[in-house]
This record gives sequence, structure tokens and C-alpha cells, in this order.
Amino acid sequence: MNQRDLELLSSYLDGQLKLSDSARLERRLSSDPDLRAVLDDLRAARGLLRQLPMRKAPRNFTLTPKMVGKNPPLPRSYPAFKFVTSLATLLLFFTLGANYLVPQLASQPPAFGMGGGGAPEVYSAQAPEAAATEAPAEESEPPVQLAPLSTATASVAEDSARTAEIPSEKNGVTGEGGLENPPSAPVEVQQPVRPIWQVLLAGIALLGAVTMLLMRQLAVARWRRK
Amino acid sequence: MDEQALIHDAQGGSLDAFNTLILHYQDSIFNTALRILSDDDLAADATQEAFLSAFKSISSFRGGSFKAWLMRTVTNACYDELRRQKRRPTTPLEPDTEDGEEMDSPRWLADPGMSPEQEFEADELEHALQHCLDNLPLEFKTVVVMADVQGMDYSEVAIAVRVPLGTIKSRLARARLRLRECLQGFTELLPASFRLEEGSSA
Repeated sequence: MNQRDLELLSSYLDGQLKLSDSARLERRLSSDPDLRAVLDDLRAARGLLRQLPMRKAPRNFTLTPKMVGKNPPLPRSYPAFKFVTSLATLLLFFTLGANYLVPQLASQPPAFGMGGGGAPEVYSAQAPEAAATEAPAEESEPPVQLAPLSTATASVAEDSARTAEIPSEKNGVTGEGGLENPPSAPVEVQQPVRPIWQVLLAGIALLGAVTMLLMRQLAVARWRRK
Repeated sequence: MDEQALIHDAQGGSLDAFNTLILHYQDSIFNTALRILSDDDLAADATQEAFLSAFKSISSFRGGSFKAWLMRTVTNACYDELRRQKRRPTTPLEPDTEDGEEMDSPRWLADPGMSPEQEFEADELEHALQHCLDNLPLEFKTVVVMADVQGMDYSEVAIAVRVPLGTIKSRLARARLRLRECLQGFTELLPASFRLEEGSSA
């Protein structure tokens, strides 16, 4: 019995042969008792396997949401709330940061005026050259006139004051020269974002977060009732 | 049961729809696992694992026979279980000979010391068949279980085990012949209508 014949017989048993192949095999079967015996054996083996009892499943294999790690279905509007809340929170932090940092930067004394560190030394070494190139326009303006300027031009005023100070330090003029300059008046720097906007953004973020929490809890409760 | 609608709903994430499909197929999936693994507990674990895996990957089902697709998942789960067993070997079903070697003859089940009542117990034939199935190479066993025990057609089996149709035909024919040879050791257990002529096709 070769492999080819065995496959033919097995397929014939299952009705998987073409009509022409089937007819050819039947002719061979009628004249070959060995082939017929193998067919009977295959049929008997298949019949026995079909006798195997189908056992009932010992339990139900249905899946629970927990097994599949599934989250409850959330309302369709949930992503919109999520987007608005995230955006409001982001903007709130941005405005808080801006309101804190902008006045800080505006009121900070110039770094190279502090003296001592390495970098300021470099600045002070380069400063006279810079001052020399920029001097013509600024030297004509006395520092006294810079003080009352509005907050928007406060940084420009300080830059001017800085350029005015550097040459005097270089020349070694300290006491009298410094006294000649009037003490700069404290400049009140306005915050770039009004607090009302921050309150509004905080309100939106809070409201969005609470709504999302409620939506989620309701969805979970509905999911558990199922 | 509208299977296509349930599959569609399950693909949309409906666990209820998928559970309806599970209830419909769980017996045949469990029986397939049982015949491949020949252990109730392992078969139950593999069945559960197969359904879980099927739910997670149901979006990859592109139509055709859903039963064949499920059979593929349970076959994979069974193969995984068998690989685990290979790493953690347990006591073999077959008894050892006096030399400590595993007996390769299936005749050990027809213990001459057994009483006639025991021999004729209803589950003896099942045990004999299961023993012969276990003696087959895994790829033969899987094909014969699906085709002859589950009654799936060749194309479904080909989908389930991911091999060409010609390979299915070849494996099935050889598996049936080996089963026939193995079952010759249990002639006394076989129903009269299924008695095999000893050595008829040798």
C-alpha cells in the first residue's frame, strides 16, 4: 500500500474525490481485495472515532468584563469633555506660569551688573565695546528721564541704565557717580493675563473633571447592573 | 442564532454577543481540547484561554468559517499547554516496563488482571480510542480530531491548522491507518460492527 493510494482511499471515504477519480478508484476496488480491506479499515477507524462521546463542557466559559480587562462604555460626549478639560487645565497652567515669570523677568537686575561670576566678567569685558557701538544714540539721553517711563518700556529703560553704568564702573567712579543718579522708582509690572481668566479656566477645568467623574461612575454602575 | 450579527456585534466590542457565541461553541471547543490534551482540567483551561484570546483578536476575523477560526485558537492554546508540559514534565500515562522504559504497545490497557465487568464498562472504548489518539504525532492527532471527531470538512481543518488541503488529506489518511493499527490491540472492546480484521491491510 503506497501513500498515494492511502490518501485516495481516505479522500474517497469522505467523498472528497472528483467523480472521474472516484470512478477509477471504484474500478480498482472491485478487482483488488487488499485495497478493499484497507478501505474497510479506514472506514472502521473513522466510524470508531465518530463514536467518541461528545462530553458536555464542565462549566460555562463565558467571559466577564474583568477577564477581558474591558472598561465600561462611556457616553459619546465623554471625549469632548475630556478635550475641553485638558485644554482648560493646560491654559490655566500656562497663564499661571506667564503671570509668575513675566514680572520676575521684568524686575530682575541685569546679570552682568552683579559682578563676581565668570560670565559677568566676560560681559563686562565686552560691554565697553558694545557700549561704544551703541553709545551715540543713548548717551544723549540722560538716565534721569528714563525712570518715569511706563512699565511696557521698563526693560528698555533698564538696558539703557545698564549701558550708562558700565563705563562709569570701568572708570572706577563709584561713590559720587552713583549718587548722581536718582534712585530708580519701584516699577509696578502688570501681569500679562488677568486673574479673571484664570478663575474662568480653573472653573471650566474643575467642572469638566467633575462631569467626567460622574459620567464614568454612572457608566460603571450601569455596566455592573447588566 | 444569527451568527454573523453576533460576530459583527462582538467585533464592535459587545461581550454579550461574544458570550452567546461561546455558549454555542463551548462544547465542541472543549471536546477538541480534551481529545488533544486528554486531560479534563487542562482542556478546560485551554478552552477558557482560547475564548479569551479569540475575543481579544476577533477584529482579525475576516469572515469564513467561525468554527474553524475558533478551532485555530483552541489548537494554539493546546499547543501552548503541551509546550508548558514539556518544560515541566509530569508522570506519563503509559506504564514503565521492568527495564524502566515506557511501554509502546497499547495492549497494556487490556490488562489480563481486569475483571470482565471492568473490561466492559462503557468508558473502556473511549479510553482505548483516547490512548490510540495520544500515540499519534500531535499534527496527526489535531487533524483527525477535527475531521473525524468534530466532523469538520477538509477546508475548515486546513483553515484551523493553517496547512494546505493536500497536507490535511495526507495527515488524515496516515492518522486513520495508524489508529486502525493501534485499535487492533482492543478488539475485544470494539463493537461487533466495528471489529477490524487483524492484519487485513498490513
